[in-house]
Amino acid sequence: MIHSLFLINCSGDIFLEKHWKSVVSQSVCDYFFEAQEKAVDVENVPPVISTPHHYLISIYRDKIFFVSVIQTEVPPLFVIEFLHRVADTFQDYFGECSETAIKDNVVIVYELLEEMLDNGFPLATESNILKELIKPPTILRSVVNSITGSSNVGETLPTGQLSNIPWRRAGVKYTNNEAYFDVIEEIDAIIDKSGSTVFAEIQGVIDSCIKLSGMPDLSLSFMNPRLLDDVSFHPCIRFKRWESERVLSFIPPDGNFRLISYRVSSQNLVAIPVYVKHMISFKENSSSGRFDVTIGPKQNMGKTVEGVVMTVHMPKAVLNMNLTASQGSYTFDPVTKVLTWDVGKITPQKLPNLKGIVNLQSGAPKPEENPSLNIQFKIQQLAISGLKVNRLDMYGEKYKPFKGVKYLTKAGKFQVRT
Amino acid sequence: MPYLGSDEAVRELKRVLANPHVQADRLRYRGAVLRAVRLMARGADVSPLFPELLRARAAPDPAQKRLAQLYVGAHARGQPELALLAVNTLRTDCAHPSPLLRGLALRGLCALRVPGIQEYIRQPLLNGLRDKASYVRRVAVLGCAKMQSLQGDSEVDGALVNELYSLLRDPDPIVVVNCLRALEEILRQEGGVVINKPIAHHLLNRMADLDQWGQSEVLAFLLRYTPRSDEELFNILNLLDGYLKSSSPSVVMAATKLFLVLASEYPHVQTDVLVRVKGPLLAACTSESRELCFTALCHVRQILGSLPGHFSSHYKKFFCSYSEPHYIKCQKMEVLCELVNDENVQQVLEELKGYCTDVSVELAQGAIFAIGSIARTYTEQCVGILTELLGLKQEHITSAVVQAFRDLVWLCPQCTEAVCQALPSCEEIVQDSEGKQALVWLLGVHGEKVPNAPYVLEDFVENVKSETFPAVKMELLTSLVRLFLSRPAECQDMLGRLLYYCIEEETDMAVRDRGLFYYRLLQAGVEEVKRVLCSPKSDPSLGLLEDQAERPVNTWASDFNTLAPIYGKARWAVITADWAAEPRCARSPSAIPSASRAVTASSSEPLISEGNKEVFEVHPDSSSHTLIPYAHLSAEQFEKTWMSLDVSCKQALPWHGAAHPDTLQTALQVVHIQTIAMSKAGAQPWKAYLSAQDDAGCLFLVELLLEMENSEMQVLVKQSEARAEALQSFLVVLRTVMGTVVGLRS
Repeated sequence: MIHSLFLINCSGDIFLEKHWKSVVSQSVCDYFFEAQEKAVDVENVPPVISTPHHYLISIYRDKIFFVSVIQTEVPPLFVIEFLHRVADTFQDYFGECSETAIKDNVVIVYELLEEMLDNGFPLATESNILKELIKPPTILRSVVNSITGSSNVGETLPTGQLSNIPWRRAGVKYTNNEAYFDVIEEIDAIIDKSGSTVFAEIQGVIDSCIKLSGMPDLSLSFMNPRLLDDVSFHPCIRFKRWESERVLSFIPPDGNFRLISYRVSSQNLVAIPVYVKHMISFKENSSSGRFDVTIGPKQNMGKTVEGVVMTVHMPKAVLNMNLTASQGSYTFDPVTKVLTWDVGKITPQKLPNLKGIVNLQSGAPKPEENPSLNIQFKIQQLAISGLKVNRLDMYGEKYKPFKGVKYLTKAGKFQVRT
Repeated sequence: MPYLGSDEAVRELKRVLANPHVQADRLRYRGAVLRAVRLMARGADVSPLFPELLRARAAPDPAQKRLAQLYVGAHARGQPELALLAVNTLRTDCAHPSPLLRGLALRGLCALRVPGIQEYIRQPLLNGLRDKASYVRRVAVLGCAKMQSLQGDSEVDGALVNELYSLLRDPDPIVVVNCLRALEEILRQEGGVVINKPIAHHLLNRMADLDQWGQSEVLAFLLRYTPRSDEELFNILNLLDGYLKSSSPSVVMAATKLFLVLASEYPHVQTDVLVRVKGPLLAACTSESRELCFTALCHVRQILGSLPGHFSSHYKKFFCSYSEPHYIKCQKMEVLCELVNDENVQQVLEELKGYCTDVSVELAQGAIFAIGSIARTYTEQCVGILTELLGLKQEHITSAVVQAFRDLVWLCPQCTEAVCQALPSCEEIVQDSEGKQALVWLLGVHGEKVPNAPYVLEDFVENVKSETFPAVKMELLTSLVRLFLSRPAECQDMLGRLLYYCIEEETDMAVRDRGLFYYRLLQAGVEEVKRVLCSPKSDPSLGLLEDQAERPVNTWASDFNTLAPIYGKARWAVITADWAAEPRCARSPSAIPSASRAVTASSSEPLISEGNKEVFEVHPDSSSHTLIPYAHLSAEQFEKTWMSLDVSCKQALPWHGAAHPDTLQTALQVVHIQTIAMSKAGAQPWKAYLSAQDDAGCLFLVELLLEMENSEMQVLVKQSEARAEALQSFLVVLRTVMGTVVGLRS
């Protein structure tokens, strides 16, 4: 299925290659580079390229292209999803999925790839199981290793592979039994000039961290399960039970995993927690313009909006900007023309404001289009859709676990047009 | 990348690895091996270290074994003699008490890939298949496939295949999936793994235990199984229902495909399925991973081709956001064009209008063309927007708008007036070839409605010497002759000048010839010119053809979740045709072999196994009707007879994908049907002419015509004597052959 994998950085160096069948020459990447040249901007390389003898399916993650070489007809989504899984695993192991991290841990990377695929077919991809086969590097462990002579390679077969339930290993034991759930919601929205919502949607996930001994059988119920439009589940969840009773019933995997992901898309349900008042104008026949933006809270259910950052891609003709921020700090990069304003917390008494003069290149025509503002923010202890966990019950084991639920709302692709 | 000072480092490392003191110290030894692997990863030439690392592989430290194996696997091909030395160590490790090491050693053995290795790995593999640790069995099963690929084309080992089939009942889910994968590879020549009823039901029951990769592969394998009854079919569909809502998009897609294919006779079930996967598909379209998003969008377009209204209420999901890459934006614009309806047209157009002023020329023009195609249904609004865009006086925008106008007036004559009013003053802005051609064409065809048309064209004639594009000059000639017919007084003079220039001074031959052609045509008289040039100015019927009626789901169900939706059907056919044709070119230099050559060319090909040959021969014998071998007919004779006869039978047979002339020819040869002529593999449309004679002297002439779009083979039969039962039995033979060839390939 997957013949070979090449990792390529932004400057076009192939810095790692791995072949699961016969060796495919690096020259196959030339087709990729050709497409890259054609696309002008690196990010615009199409994910599927056909060459006379192979297909190249690639993903772009954290400034690295993962280019896989395929020789037979395959479902494209399968390969794309798998490549993302590889990148996720690197992220999980090294804390970041960057070129330096991969180069520093090149031996572990090879070992991981060897275990994840055999003869081009996905084999072990669950992070729990992989971590038992190959231990992730930590500073402490490398010190311990060099003293005791042990290594980061597991020496016994992971028990998870022998359990009846593929996602949970047998014989788990903890002294403190804990189950934590994080309800995280991201708002994707496009707000138009006048402040009305063009498009809004909530993408939510429930990430769990379960450290429970034995084989616990959990059921989680919500106050308002009808809110959820489209739900996709971790394989451990009993689908029939959800369909009939709207209860999540499952034997959890051990450790961290994503329990469900869902969407709430009916527009009247999506609250927009911030508003932006903006005045961006360029004068005809003059080399300057005005910039005035205020951000304020709206529909935030009494919680504080924090971690607010605004980024704006200014038009090419902008030379520099002289602004004053009533709160936080701003930077303008004259090369990429990106204005970043780090606002911080919004206090309703004194709304943060950024205003001043925009200097244009002299003689350049007035920019056609006003820039759009991308906004990030966070609201702690609130799921903006109103989703609430009702209760968590455990069956099958005798002990009393410690339970916890946290809520967080974030901005996803939140864009304000001006 | 060459690594500076690597030679020195390698020599040093060789010394360290060979040092017995180092070898005695576990830690230092492993450190040295680690350094060697690091060097290898950086691209240094570490092949001189091979013998030392082989020895390191044999040391008891498991971590070190693993490291050394990374190295040995990568370098074994370069040094086959030395690699054979590794076999012993690895075979010993195959009996190690730790299952992890057994698996590792087995994988190492299969990775050696040096000639003659098969005899050494066979026994450890067979032991591995019966190992009690599932980890080892997983490795061993895939190892069987690797061993087969090492052997090349040699005979498939029946015992091994049986062993693998029985391992499909293994308690470990990954072993089961690996068995399928391995069998598929080993039996590729014979059409892959066979899924019969017990296997299908066994797999269905195991589905819940598999990981997402296994699930989506098993769903793909289940496509091969056809349920016997409707009851069984719906049972299967019920069992698999949950997978339509899986969290992994690839499982969702694989399940959708299986549903669509299985329910091919129940259109309402197919529609229901598509409604059910709407949610997951839309989620994938707005997913964080842009590649997933792109692929999902391609599939959305595919679905929209059959169910135009399917995503209309979700049109806002397909609005582009600023930071998306171009390929996603382009897909989204095309999706928007297809799902436009009376309710959302206003918003969609507003949105597309926003994209028209995008910084990227490609996107801006794409958006304008998108508006142009929506204009076929919602003419008035769109023409208004397009006219407004002309006011921006941007070169690329104006050019695209003019091109959109040209395509539009051809399909929607009612908007001609509006377009003609918008045209003046464009000529100063349009600079590129395409835009100029479109403008000149519009002025020529609808010149009588644009008051200053002759003057605009006059400017073009004045500057014709500095015009760089020959295509524009040709268009200018045609346009000016047309305009001359409707407004002779204003055009006569400049037409003369243009013709003079084209004939006397132009260096491009095509333009010169076109000039001469019009000159001679004009000599024949104005009436004659009018007769030739004044074709209809628009053809709304073409529009109906273009936004073709909804294609039934079944036309694309088998392509769903493959690469075909990404490329589009037409381009996909071209790509796959190239693939099929390539290895063939070397063997048959002439693509249309004569009937006599075909015998020698095909006799050496193992394309039809013995088993299949029997099928062919049974049929001619079972009927009272036999075709005589070696009834040769030359191409001339064939042509003469073909012309003189009437069609006695016309039929369509199902056919998937491209034709494979060699396979078909060999197959026909077996039943004594001669091939007179055939198109190359991948030709569009693909044709073949065949002939045959029966024992009663009746001659059959056949034409095969394959049109890729409707996946059917048109068969046309002519007969020298009208005998109905002879014709029937001939058709039976022909159909069997074709059916078998299709079966062989899919």
